[in-house]
Amino acid sequence: MTRLFRLKRNRELAFVWALLIPALIIYLFYRVIPLLWNVVLSFSFWAPGKPLEFAGLYHYEEMVFFDDGFWIALKNTGVFMLATPVAISLALALALLVDQKIRGRNIYRTLIFLPYPMMVVAVGIVWRWLYNDSVGLINYGLRTFGIISEPIAFLESYRFAMISVMAAAIWQIVGFFMIIILTGLQNIPPHLHEAALIDGARAHHRFWRITLPLLRPSLFLCVILGVIASFTSFDLIYTMTGGGPGRETELLITYIYKASFTLSQFDYAAAMTVVMFALFLTLATIANRLSGGDAGKVDITD
Amino acid sequence: MMLRKQIAIHALLILISVVMLTPIYWVVKTSVTGENLFSYPPTIIPRDPNLFYYVEAWYTVSFVRLFSNSLVIATLVVVVNLLLNAMAGYALTKQFRGKALVLSFLLMSMMIPFHATIIPAYLLTAKLGLLDSKLGIALPALSHIVCILLFKSNFEAVPSSLVQAARLDGLSEWQILTRIMMPLSKPAVATNIILSFIWSWNEFLWPLIVVRSPDQQTMPLGLVSFLASFEDTTGSLYAFCVLVVLPSMLVFLLAQKDFIRGLTSGATKG
Repeated sequence: MTRLFRLKRNRELAFVWALLIPALIIYLFYRVIPLLWNVVLSFSFWAPGKPLEFAGLYHYEEMVFFDDGFWIALKNTGVFMLATPVAISLALALALLVDQKIRGRNIYRTLIFLPYPMMVVAVGIVWRWLYNDSVGLINYGLRTFGIISEPIAFLESYRFAMISVMAAAIWQIVGFFMIIILTGLQNIPPHLHEAALIDGARAHHRFWRITLPLLRPSLFLCVILGVIASFTSFDLIYTMTGGGPGRETELLITYIYKASFTLSQFDYAAAMTVVMFALFLTLATIANRLSGGDAGKVDITD
Repeated sequence: MMLRKQIAIHALLILISVVMLTPIYWVVKTSVTGENLFSYPPTIIPRDPNLFYYVEAWYTVSFVRLFSNSLVIATLVVVVNLLLNAMAGYALTKQFRGKALVLSFLLMSMMIPFHATIIPAYLLTAKLGLLDSKLGIALPALSHIVCILLFKSNFEAVPSSLVQAARLDGLSEWQILTRIMMPLSKPAVATNIILSFIWSWNEFLWPLIVVRSPDQQTMPLGLVSFLASFEDTTGSLYAFCVLVVLPSMLVFLLAQKDFIRGLTSGATKG
């Protein structure tokens, strides 16, 4: 009887692992192993077709002490990250608006979300042309309303290039953040607001004391997604500015791409990737702590 | 709610919607007229729209090849994703030794953005001999952890009495997954299809790295090389943009109800 039982258990266990293994293999080969491989490469001299040699901290020293490009890309990535709080504030306002009991609110939600599924390459090309100095719509609008007198070549200007790319990024992601925050809003038990109303709490008190604190997990999920976006916004930079003018919009990811796939410095690029990943992990951990430990908490409890 | 407030909210939301839709309107308008590519000031309403630039885009690039490449890859990605994610999600609803380990492995992998793995992923794909192939492009996207967790939480919401009854009726575990769990988890299935399709369709960096020959180019690569060879002053570039964006928009619009329900029901609890 026990043997029969054990046999059944074993069969079940085998079945469970058979279901899991295909997916796990994908993550092993395309997430975990590459991450470790990056670390190994970053401490080595290596080029395609050459043997691996130990390099110690050579690439890291190069990066920190001798490569301006790395520091510029790092700074720009930090600046690009500032788009996240802007996008989140806008998304919060939008979520509060489309959460009101008004007719057609689903239509507004869809319209605001619409840019999110669009291919970033196409988005970059379209925005690049909206920013065009001679025929672009944005210059036309600004000139019509008398805000500027001379057209500005936004994407070629050192002053405006970064902020222009950030505006396009915000336009695309704000609807997605709105949906996340909206979900958070709908998870707030209505009786809290009702009780506060009975106690005579004003609207802005209810917002600061009830809505905002309870939205914290959703807001920090947006923060983490924004941080990820600033480390991965390759497509937008590639199509809109190519990192220019000069290195004004060069992000870490575009710099890493150039180092590895244009200049074939795979070992050096791997070292930069390791730094980028460490930064990302640090920021994500901080955001997670600040949110009370459950930013975008995925329910994995049994 | 007071009528005045209602009207104010509508006015605000209409204004915001107009701002959000302007770039989309502008690209569609240019693609059917070619206006304001050279002329200033631009006109707001399109004059005699036509499909000239669409025809031009169609003949300038080998559109059918780009489209079918992207479609083959996206279909592969979607089908395999549904299969692998549902399987893994179902396994994770069960109790077994090592489950905590598997879950932490998945959560750890979720924290590794694909962009932080491109160099070894490229070297690995080269070792496998899959550079410049559709399978090589699809491989890293064949499963998404978010979708596994989504399936897990959807499957857990299925009443266990139903599963017990099915078991008594002699259904095997595999049949329980395909005949009971999947049909009862439509939002998760829809979300899975949409996300994996859109991510695959829009992916640019990975194909850019992996693809060598024009034969294997996908839509975004075609779009970028079109931009490189014709500059941005032809209406057909924007017609091309519209054609590229259309499929993922359609997929989203067709299934958005389930999609938003799916997202809100599991993946982003908070």
